[in-house]
Amino acid sequence: AEVEETLKRIQAHRGVVATIVINAEGIPVRTTLDNSTTVQYAGLLHQLTMKARSTVRDIDPQNELTFLRIRSKKHEIMVAPDKEYLLIVIQNPCE
Amino acid sequence: ARFHGNRRSGRWEPAGPRPPLAAMFADGTAPGADVESLWRSARSARCEAKSCQTEQISTAETAAQSHTSRDAAVQTDQSKDAVQDFQQEVQVDYTSLLSFLQRVEDSVIKELSKNWKSHAFDGFEVNWTDQNEAVLCLHTLSYPEAQDQNLQVTSVSWNATGSVVACSYGRLDGGDWSTEKSYVCTWNLDRRGLNPQHPDLVVDVPSSVMCLAFHPSQPSLIAGGLFSGELVVWDTSRTEDPVIWRTGMTDDTHTDPVYQVNWLPDAKHGNHSRLLSVSTDGKILVWREERDGRLALAEGFAMVAQQIPRSTQLKKFTRGETAVGVTSLSFSHFDPCVFVVGVEGGCSLKCSTAAETLALPPTGNSVPLRAPAELAFSPHGGPVYSVSCSPFHRRVLNLFLSCGTDGQVHLHSMLQTQPLISLQLSKKYLFCVRWSPVRPLVFAAASGEGNCNKCFCVIGDVYLFDFEKSSQKPAVSIKQAAGEHPVYCLEFNTKQTRLLAAGDATGTVKVWQLSSDFTEQGPREVNCLEQLASEVTD
Repeated sequence: AEVEETLKRIQAHRGVVATIVINAEGIPVRTTLDNSTTVQYAGLLHQLTMKARSTVRDIDPQNELTFLRIRSKKHEIMVAPDKEYLLIVIQNPCE
Repeated sequence: ARFHGNRRSGRWEPAGPRPPLAAMFADGTAPGADVESLWRSARSARCEAKSCQTEQISTAETAAQSHTSRDAAVQTDQSKDAVQDFQQEVQVDYTSLLSFLQRVEDSVIKELSKNWKSHAFDGFEVNWTDQNEAVLCLHTLSYPEAQDQNLQVTSVSWNATGSVVACSYGRLDGGDWSTEKSYVCTWNLDRRGLNPQHPDLVVDVPSSVMCLAFHPSQPSLIAGGLFSGELVVWDTSRTEDPVIWRTGMTDDTHTDPVYQVNWLPDAKHGNHSRLLSVSTDGKILVWREERDGRLALAEGFAMVAQQIPRSTQLKKFTRGETAVGVTSLSFSHFDPCVFVVGVEGGCSLKCSTAAETLALPPTGNSVPLRAPAELAFSPHGGPVYSVSCSPFHRRVLNLFLSCGTDGQVHLHSMLQTQPLISLQLSKKYLFCVRWSPVRPLVFAAASGEGNCNKCFCVIGDVYLFDFEKSSQKPAVSIKQAAGEHPVYCLEFNTKQTRLLAAGDATGTVKVWQLSSDFTEQGPREVNCLEQLASEVTD
């Protein structure tokens, strides 16, 4: 229940289009999108996050990835990584 | 007697009586020694006689033969619910999920707020592709034999992969029952050694082809509607007779030329598609494929004047049971049951495939035809030649364009009869209008013929309109052919979005490459389109 509350708060923020939580294997656990789109986002962003994380560690082994943001023409994708889960939020920023 | 012995002869003398010498040597014979042979008796004392013989080998004869076999194939069906609902299956540890979210929530909310207020990216645009400013003519394709016969290009179509363009030759100004031969030509633009005067494939057709449509997913199937009212489907991959289906001349066939043909996805039969044909005899017929290469009527609609819903503004229709000639049709991209038709009477009609009422009078077709019209939009000043539904509009507010001989393009919303925007593009007839598949605010129109007041109209044959730039005049006017030759048809390439093919009355198809501002979607275009639609309705 608290999990749902937290996710609802994030989803209700201005401009947020979708929220997805995936586990360490890249399997979606909570989502506000339809299944096929969620699976697509989960797979692609999981790989990209792993790549970003290893890039940061390679440059400086003492460093660690804290947040990943991808800005595109249409929206901004934000990824908050963790050991066990990954939170993906897609926001339509105000132009 | 010969003597063999020493050569030195002289030692031995020939035998003869000799004086006896000393009696050392004397002749004598001695009895030989005898040993009795014992072997025969010994043998019988010590040996025995034995014999052996192999036993009889038993044999048997049998024959074996493999069983008769049969081929069977198995194919999985595409199931609708391919992706299962995963949320119940994944084992989630709630406590760890909760603690993760609590850790992360604050930073995410902070980022979201920062982003919302940020002006960091205002006006920042990235160019991934080379900016290409002008509209270029990439290819000028023609078939000299058809041009010699003064045939015109009546229709162009791109195939499912976007690499082949096909055009049909015929005559749009032939009034009488024409028995002229015509051609369907295809060119593969991605091939090396493309010869613009030499199509890759030429199909001879006994009657004028008025419209063409490539199959939306099978790149080699192409359907055409003929002047005689028939429909034919060709398979361009077959080297011998490419005709695979045809309607033939039956009671069901149209009695007037077929002006538009579309492929419809068949909801019931998965991969099979149905063909829809539109003709000025007032009928809209849906055909399905039969085994023997025939196309059989599956269902149909008929437009009859008295069954068209009239609003108080429209008084143009003749009363009675006259058929209303349909010249063009476009399906809504959001509701597969809704379609818009343009009629010779000058108005566009919103229709539904789910209509139940039967058309009057009962036509002599094998399948009862229904009257599909639901709403009549306000008319043009002349016959409508082309309608096109926007592929972009969300929600219920569907938009479509219609153009006709009055040189105007009307932008309609399906909810109201008055057009949202009415543009006088030229004084000439407009033959075709199409929405761009990538930019929601762009459309193209093809014009030609008619009296042109040179002071007024923009010289050009193909107009590209961009609502973002101006809602009054075209962004680009392209002159297709020297002189006053009308352009009859145009099609955007949905796969290679820069290409636009246009066919004209001189028998040439020109493939235009559009500049990048026509092919790259701006960030808020769909919203702009909605805004445009809603601000005009208010």
